[in-house]
Amino acid sequence: MAVPIDVATGPGGPEPEAPLSVAGKAIEGRSLGQIAWMRLRRDKVAMGGGVVVIFLILVAIIGPHLVQNPDTFHPNLINPTFLRPNGFFGGISLAHPLGVEPETGRDLLARIVVGAQYSLLIAFFSTVLAVVIGTFFGVIAGYLGGWVDSLIARSMDVFLAFPLLVFALALAGVIPSSAFGLSGNSLRIAVLIFVIGFFNWPYMGRIIRGQTLSLREREFVDAARSLGARTPYILFRELLPNLVAPILVYATLLIPTNILFEAALDYLGVGLYVPTPTWGQMLSSAVQNGYYSIDPEYMLVPGLTIFITVMAFNLFGDGLRDALDPKTR
Amino acid sequence: MKRRSIFAATATAAAAALLISACSSSSGSSGSSTTTPTSTTGTAAFNAGITSVVNPSTHKGGTLTYEVRGTPDSFDPGNTYYAWVLDFDHLYTMPLFGYKSCPGSCGLQLVPDLATNMGTTSANGLTYTVQIQPDVKFENGTVVTSQDVKYAIERTYDRSVLANGPTYYQALLTDPTYPGPYKDRAKNLMGLTAIDTPNATTLVFHLQAPFPDLPYVLAFPNTAPVLPSADTGSNYQLHPLSTGPYMFKSYTLNKQLILVPNPNWNASTDPNAEQLASEIVVNLNINQADLDNNLIAGNADIDAYGAGVGPAAQARILSTPSLKADADNPINGFARFVYLDTKVAPLTNLHCREAIEYAANKTTMQTAWGGPVAGGAIASTIMPPVIVGYKSFDYYNALSQPNGDLSAAKAQLAACGQPNGFTTAMAYRSDNPQETAEATALQASLAAVGIKLTLKGFPSGPYYTNFAGDPAYMSSHNIGLAGGGWGADWPDGYGFLDELLNGNAIAPTGNTNISMENDPVINNLFTKSSTLSGAARTAVWAQIDEQAMKDAVILPAVYQKTLLYRNPATTNVYVQTYYGMYNYAVMGVNS
Repeated sequence: MAVPIDVATGPGGPEPEAPLSVAGKAIEGRSLGQIAWMRLRRDKVAMGGGVVVIFLILVAIIGPHLVQNPDTFHPNLINPTFLRPNGFFGGISLAHPLGVEPETGRDLLARIVVGAQYSLLIAFFSTVLAVVIGTFFGVIAGYLGGWVDSLIARSMDVFLAFPLLVFALALAGVIPSSAFGLSGNSLRIAVLIFVIGFFNWPYMGRIIRGQTLSLREREFVDAARSLGARTPYILFRELLPNLVAPILVYATLLIPTNILFEAALDYLGVGLYVPTPTWGQMLSSAVQNGYYSIDPEYMLVPGLTIFITVMAFNLFGDGLRDALDPKTR
Repeated sequence: MKRRSIFAATATAAAAALLISACSSSSGSSGSSTTTPTSTTGTAAFNAGITSVVNPSTHKGGTLTYEVRGTPDSFDPGNTYYAWVLDFDHLYTMPLFGYKSCPGSCGLQLVPDLATNMGTTSANGLTYTVQIQPDVKFENGTVVTSQDVKYAIERTYDRSVLANGPTYYQALLTDPTYPGPYKDRAKNLMGLTAIDTPNATTLVFHLQAPFPDLPYVLAFPNTAPVLPSADTGSNYQLHPLSTGPYMFKSYTLNKQLILVPNPNWNASTDPNAEQLASEIVVNLNINQADLDNNLIAGNADIDAYGAGVGPAAQARILSTPSLKADADNPINGFARFVYLDTKVAPLTNLHCREAIEYAANKTTMQTAWGGPVAGGAIASTIMPPVIVGYKSFDYYNALSQPNGDLSAAKAQLAACGQPNGFTTAMAYRSDNPQETAEATALQASLAAVGIKLTLKGFPSGPYYTNFAGDPAYMSSHNIGLAGGGWGADWPDGYGFLDELLNGNAIAPTGNTNISMENDPVINNLFTKSSTLSGAARTAVWAQIDEQAMKDAVILPAVYQKTLLYRNPATTNVYVQTYYGMYNYAVMGVNS
């Protein structure tokens, strides 16, 4: 007995077959990036951190144009006998949403925002420097092994053991007023980026070296070698693309460390020139001059800002690592 | 996972905060409590120390602890010019003359110290003779002779070894080119012909011209005797041989000095000093805020620097009645100002300097020094009102427009050919919070007319020796402004203005005429003053002040008041008016 077949009949004959589909959408294989993004999206805390990071970057880029001059004194807002801001909690008002500094009356919101610019700039570029140097030596050490690996690994140990804070302090004392065509704050920023970045490369180097050691045993490396690829090709065209994930993750985790480090250097007086506002310098002024006892808000504002920034980067970086690295699930 | 990462982040931030705060605390403070100490019985009240002796006592014993910001320029009595060190030196030196140890204007009287009398001047005014006490001993038992006093004065002539201190001897005595004992080839190193020592207790000074104020010059600790065999030049500061009630027990440079009673000191020879505490400790390089906390908590007794507490402690003390009762707010007789170096371009041009005078915001500078109550009144002249001969005038609208006269400043900038402003640097002492705040305030106010200041901080110890007081350094580093302060060497216009403004006072190191002012009008007025007396002489000081302000070589900030805090455990505390701070030579402590 013939089963009725639902065939669309028309002048042209049967339609060509449509590909198999589910719910009207095409099935495609998901790329690693898409899988990671989905996992990241599900991680609410990491997304929160990411939003804060983006907000901070926007503040650092656009903010300085929107706030008032951070260096303007407002002596009328300061009590002349007690030298502290008039009014509630450090002088908070519509004109000064975060209050003003004691003794000078400078707007705190403006100083925080302009300080964000410097902190993030220095942290970002020093991280880039550390990543570049660390990846370069890490990949070479991991892949080549032997005496090259020993040499590079021992250098990493030396740099890790180096008393970085002491060296930075000493360096700040001997920097001339101008060098390499830069002077003033530009020179200071360059020196800070160099010092922080150059001495942080082992952090990246070790991680990349470990990753490379495991990657070099994989088949695609053997395949490339058997096809006649030379070492530089394998290093930079085969291994490096597979290292992008850990590089990204640990770079995101390195930035808050560098922010803290730059704040510490400012606090110790080797940062940027007065009156440049930086978070570490504001903290330093609040503590060194004892203002925390009469105007605690002056210490809380930069302290909390550093805390929130560091935490946001850390949470986002952790979430990124969880999303990209299946082994840690 | 998420909880761990939050912990990790928090722990990182907390650890970093702890690390940062640990790095900042200095070795001197041993933790501060928040309880206010109860004051011991006595006449403690706000400003009691200005007119009376607080806690008078003869009680011996206990450890008196001084703390000080930065370091002294030198504890060598022949190599210092900081007021607090001149005061402190009376604990281990006996200069020829001194000031009577008493509060109020009583303390401005010059009295003999090592000398037996006020000395006698010859009829032509060119010879001055004075005798010293015959039985004063050094700490090692050697009897002091007049040659030791002559040697002490001689060693100040070599500024390459002892850079600091006034330049009066070279200017007033004959034989001004004497090279100093370190290059002296004469017998017993007594080569200075300006001083004779006919016997072991007599000194004869020969002057270039009559100078009635010579005894005031001899009240500096650089006349305290120095045994030539004990002189180690620039190392003498490590252990000067004492003739006072205390002697050095140990001195770790930049850290701590410990004094103990000098057994060879005879109280009857030195009525203006006391030997009460059984040990005196001086902690150096203490951060001012930590120091203030130590004072209030009772872990330290006195801030030796004597320029008052920092801004946070000022607020606490003035708003807490129990703390205010242990504080004094004297006019200390100092002027605070900023030098304008006439040898550094573009400040070589008068109009550029006048632009700075007009543009500076005096109100914010006054706030930097502590505001009108604790810091002092805004100044428009170099001499403060306490100096005999003071006259009020205001060439740059400092009093009428204390926030700065920007339009006049811009007009002056146009006149000096820099209509858009210019760039220069300012030196200041970074361990002095008030001077640091003043530099920041000046930088902000000058920026309003386009004058860009780069701030260069230096430690206070070598400030006059190596940096601001070194004209070559200032010129080669393009530093046009320098923070400064001045108290009178003795209470009249000459004693206030000479080392600041006389062209002859310019020195290659330890220079206090940092403006490099060498105006013949002013130099002649100084010379003329020695030939005058009475009201005519007094009138000269105001003329010098006015001429210097017309030359715009100094930007006055405040006629200084300070807020001093005394630990209620200290005894015999009062403000010695000459120094503008507590008299360190008579203090004791309730142990």
